[in-house]
Amino acid sequence: MSTMDFFTAMEVSASGLSAERTRMNVAASNLANAQTTQAAGGGPYKRRDVVMQSVDVPGVQGTPFAQAVKGVAVSQISQDTAQPRLEYDPGHPQANAQGYVAYPNVNPVEEMVDMITASRAYEAGITTMTTAVNMAERALGIGR
Amino acid sequence: MSIAPITPPMSPELAGITGVTGIERPTAKPDLAGTFRAALEDAHGAEHRATDAAEQFARGDTGMGIHEVVIASEKANIAIRYATTLKNKALEAYRELMNTQV
Repeated sequence: MSTMDFFTAMEVSASGLSAERTRMNVAASNLANAQTTQAAGGGPYKRRDVVMQSVDVPGVQGTPFAQAVKGVAVSQISQDTAQPRLEYDPGHPQANAQGYVAYPNVNPVEEMVDMITASRAYEAGITTMTTAVNMAERALGIGR
Repeated sequence: MSIAPITPPMSPELAGITGVTGIERPTAKPDLAGTFRAALEDAHGAEHRATDAAEQFARGDTGMGIHEVVIASEKANIAIRYATTLKNKALEAYRELMNTQV
C-alpha cells in the first residue's frame, strides 16, 4: 500500500483499540471473579493484568519512519502475585483449618478505575482514527 | 517605400539573452495509467479485506472485533474514493483538453 500512508495512523489507532479491548476484557474478568474462591489449578482466582508492548505497524515496513512509528499490542496477561484476601468464614466449603477462606486479590474499586481508563483510552483511539479519516477525506477534496 | 525589419527589443537588460538553457526534459514520464492501476488494486484489496472482516465477524471469529470491521470498511471507502478521485481528475483534464478552441 504505497499510496496509503494515511492508513498508518489508522493502523496504529486500531492496534490501540484492540489493546484497550483486551484490557476491558481483563477488567471484566477480574470484576466477575472478585468472589471466586475456586479457580482452575486450585486456590482463589488471581487478578489478571495486561502487559502492553510496542510493535511495528503492519504495512509501513521499509519506509524511513517504520522504526519510529509503533503500534501497541498486549504481549501477555500476567497474574497478580499479591496474597489472597483472607476472610473468616468457618462454614464455607473452601475454609482452611483455621476457618479462613482465601478470596481473590481483586479490589473492585481498582478494577472500576482500570475499566474507565480503558474506556477513555478507547475513546481517544477512536478520536485519533476519526481525525485521520477526516484528514484523508479533506485531502481527497482538494480542489473541489 | 521600404518596410523596416522587425528587430529584437533593444532594452539593455534583454540584450544579452539569447535562449533558455539548463532546463532538462523529464526522461521518465509520470504514468497516469500506472498510478490509476495501483490505486484501483489498492481499492480492490481493501474492499476484499473489508468483506473478509465482515464475514469473519459474522462467523463469530474471536479475533475479529467490531472496530476491526468498521476500520476495514472505512479503509476500503477511502481507497475507493482515492481511485475515483484520480479517475475524475484525469477525466477532467482530458475534457479540458478536448474542449480546446482551435
